[in-house]
Amino acid sequence: MWVVEAEGLRKTFVTGWLRPRRREALAGVSLRVAAGSIYGIVGPNGAGKTTLLSILATILTPDSGRATLLGRDLTREPAAIRQRLNLVSGHANFVWSLRVAEILDFYGRLYGLAARARARRVEELLEWCELTPYRAVPYNELSTGLKQRLALAKGLINRPALLLLDEPTVGLDPDMALKVRAQIADLKAREGVTILLCTHYMREAEQLCDRVAFLKRGMILAEGAPADLKRRLHLGDAIRLRMSGPAPDLTGLPGLLQWALRDGELTCTVDEAAARLPGLLALLQAKGVRVQELRVIEPDLEDVFVEYAKPHH
Amino acid sequence: MRSHTIKAGAFFIRNFRMTRRNAFTLFEVLFWPAVGLASVGLLTRFLALDADTTAFVLTGTIALSVVQVCQLDVAYGLLFDVWSKSVKHQFLAPIGVGHLVAGSWAMGAVRGALAFLVMASFGAWAFGFDFFKAGLLPLVLFLLGCLLSAAGVGVLTCILLLLFGYRAEVAAWSLVSMLMVLCGVYYPVDLLPAPLAAAGRLLPLTGILEGFRAGYGFAPATASPWGEGLALGVGYLLAGGFTLHWAARSARRSGMLLRLSE
Repeated sequence: MWVVEAEGLRKTFVTGWLRPRRREALAGVSLRVAAGSIYGIVGPNGAGKTTLLSILATILTPDSGRATLLGRDLTREPAAIRQRLNLVSGHANFVWSLRVAEILDFYGRLYGLAARARARRVEELLEWCELTPYRAVPYNELSTGLKQRLALAKGLINRPALLLLDEPTVGLDPDMALKVRAQIADLKAREGVTILLCTHYMREAEQLCDRVAFLKRGMILAEGAPADLKRRLHLGDAIRLRMSGPAPDLTGLPGLLQWALRDGELTCTVDEAAARLPGLLALLQAKGVRVQELRVIEPDLEDVFVEYAKPHH
Repeated sequence: MRSHTIKAGAFFIRNFRMTRRNAFTLFEVLFWPAVGLASVGLLTRFLALDADTTAFVLTGTIALSVVQVCQLDVAYGLLFDVWSKSVKHQFLAPIGVGHLVAGSWAMGAVRGALAFLVMASFGAWAFGFDFFKAGLLPLVLFLLGCLLSAAGVGVLTCILLLLFGYRAEVAAWSLVSMLMVLCGVYYPVDLLPAPLAAAGRLLPLTGILEGFRAGYGFAPATASPWGEGLALGVGYLLAGGFTLHWAARSARRSGMLLRLSE
């Protein structure tokens, strides 16, 4: 079952009165997000990630294209969608002098939660986000990490079926980022929330996402499971060996994409390390090479990102 | 209905909490209105105005202050989010502009009524101004008319914010000055050049002031200033509500909601 089905979403921003400037932010984006999954959207700055998320969050109207969220039409039934969706921004801001519990209470009211249910939900979220000790602290006195946890708590106030996360760990310390990532994974596992995650951090996307879309210049260049994307780009696995003995000639080795020998370290890029390693080791042994150390390095999503960010894509 | 009350109540409670915490709010509600009343009251003494003419001028001063205090609260319903760059979170929630206006206006009505009480008491004590001379019903209608006018002005500020962004926040403080000129706050509207007087007649506060001042012996320019003033106030509020709804849709189209959140 698809929670998000978008087709051909386009958006161009026009600024200026006398000399209007047009900037195309989305140039026909289509995507489908399965229920209960985490779907990542990655891409360079200005790729259109926030624009896409804002359209799906109903705070920006697309120029053309259509989308269905939670079985409702985005343009015809936005109010029904808003009731069951929420957004967490990496650079979230709330009214400066309201206290943590008051901010959650305010948004609970906006979602129409009655007094008792609202109080219960606020307490649950304070506890889950480890904010209970800070409940009476004004927003402008919170650290960046606490602000981010509050943003996450606010995003869950209405028990959303679809949660949009716009760079939720940006600017956080590594330990705080780890905590937030664990909470995101927990949301999917425990509550079955469908999550759309925009991120700059490839490791985050690789750890959390079932599928990832690469957005560039307002278009999706590639989409799939992280492992599929790596395979699709033929980035290959790197096998690094520290060796001694005569310099081998590996030309013609099946599955070999490239190789280099420098200062006693042989680096071979092969299509699939597990399949090619035995043949490589046998060849080296036959040529009298002694292998002292061996490492296999699989490409990560960052390599995929770098590849797609290149101008020819 | 319960859900609507909760949603509108969000803005009422938030404005209340912000008011309670901000010492400068006392300046808005008490200090500036009192300073304005004292200055104008002393001017009436200097000019040796009679009691009814003094009442004419002080009525305008008090009306203007009540409108200013109340309309600020309506504008704060959006301005707090604009200043804290959280506008998108407000519009992401399943609320309508009616919730924003109703909740923040209710808090504005409380603050406006408080400002009125303070100024009326101060006016009576310092300048012998009898606010009950016109009668209780005109007094209630006067306050209602001021608060209705304030709702219209606050909604207009919100509309301008959604259409023009940060540049329009100045409207929260400047729109009331337009009323001061056009509505005959310190003088009868007929003193204005004809086109401005005609424009003044289209504003609800003009009728409200004329209706109330009739109780002090100043004949209104029209047969039913109360009816005209209140009808215009309700009409503008409804029209403002629809325009605000349109402005919110426009802000979603233009990306203004995002720009106001960056």
